[in-house]
Amino acid sequence: MKFLCVPCDSPMKLQTVGPPERGSLSVVYSCPECGYEMAMLTNPFETQLVQSLGVRIGPDASSTEGTRAAGTNCPFAAMMPAVEGAPPDQAGEPIPVRWTSGAEARLANIPAFVRPMARTGIEKFARERGTLEVDEKILDAARDFFGM
Amino acid sequence: MKGYHDIVGDGGSGVLEQVAEQRTRITDGLAGVRHLVAVGSGKGGVGKSTLTLHLAGALRARGLRIAILDADFNGPSQARMAGVQGALFVPGSHKVALPRTRNGIGVFSMGSLIPESESLEFESAAQGESHTWRATREFALLGEILGSVEWGALDLLMFDLPPGAERTVQYADFLGPRTSFLLVTIPSEVARGVVARSVAALSKGPNRLLGYVENMSGYFCRDCNAIKPLFVSPEPFDAAQGRPSGLEIPCLGTVPFDPELARLCDTGIPLAELPDTPVGRALEHVAQQLLDTLESTTPASAHATRERRPGREPRQ
Repeated sequence: MKFLCVPCDSPMKLQTVGPPERGSLSVVYSCPECGYEMAMLTNPFETQLVQSLGVRIGPDASSTEGTRAAGTNCPFAAMMPAVEGAPPDQAGEPIPVRWTSGAEARLANIPAFVRPMARTGIEKFARERGTLEVDEKILDAARDFFGM
Repeated sequence: MKGYHDIVGDGGSGVLEQVAEQRTRITDGLAGVRHLVAVGSGKGGVGKSTLTLHLAGALRARGLRIAILDADFNGPSQARMAGVQGALFVPGSHKVALPRTRNGIGVFSMGSLIPESESLEFESAAQGESHTWRATREFALLGEILGSVEWGALDLLMFDLPPGAERTVQYADFLGPRTSFLLVTIPSEVARGVVARSVAALSKGPNRLLGYVENMSGYFCRDCNAIKPLFVSPEPFDAAQGRPSGLEIPCLGTVPFDPELARLCDTGIPLAELPDTPVGRALEHVAQQLLDTLESTTPASAHATRERRPGREPRQ
């Protein structure tokens, strides 16, 4: 969808994207020529159409946090808290496992819907090998053990 | 006044660019895969998933590098059958590593992520209207999986499709002309009729139709050590005798039903552990036929004049 400032005959530019409120996004465009601003307010069906394409509106990820939280990238968002908050050891007492920045970066590269399960599984893998730190060597070892 | 096509870019929403980036990511991710084969039918319950897994096993036993993408997100069965329900998804260098079975087949199935007691749910701004967006969301998920898994160098990536003739065509559209189709039917007029609709629909597009497999073509009675009829059909199909099936594509073989095979599927045991049986031999035959068909010169000339969709062409 594109917006045209009719008096200026000039394409309008996206300015801000407001988080979804009751299924509606507020997307503000302005005319670079005259400065006129307008807001596109989506209905829930239009919001869902964009979400269903697996994309966000606008270049700034932080401005679409609400969209992400609504499930743009994660079909299992509702299940995540339970997975992420699960006690990591069999006795029910959490044993913290530290992730190096390199390992965290690799984890951030995989799809959001796989991430919680991957984190939990790899921490278990690390503990079973007697370490409480997940680094890239542990990830490589897990990859060799479980992956193609 | 300017029209839509007079304006370059989209004013900053970036939606079209993101969709294009997704397609590029998918194309690049599958660049190392020699053959893409979708196993579909149109009809449900004909054994698509079972055949997919065991054909993959037979081809893997020949030394080929094989992976399966269980594209039936709402009824994933490959995780259980392949024994990867508890698979660990490990971050690779840039993407997620593909879990593998104990006989070395890569399997991505939602069944590894969602317990069987739960269904696939999407957060939505328009709940109660899922008929308007659900399919789009599922294909976006398929795209995300294709673009974010390390498929690597594979001889064959098999897609285990969900039922539905219209869904089969939607997958053909989404996966593009590189993907060939293998259809599965059973010796029932109803099933053949539905599969015939899939053939008709797919024939309108550029995707190659490799042929079909008639599954449940009798059952293997262990007491009699013989194949007995499972379906009563007015004109039983027999590929060996060339009886017509009504499907105007090649038959790559017939596979009898074997309760022991069903047990292996339920427990995630590879076919290789099933002693030499008619069903094992039939699957070996179909696997060889499939391989020969894939490796043979693609009858691309049949589609040469048809419109090409974006995407890479199959390697010859």
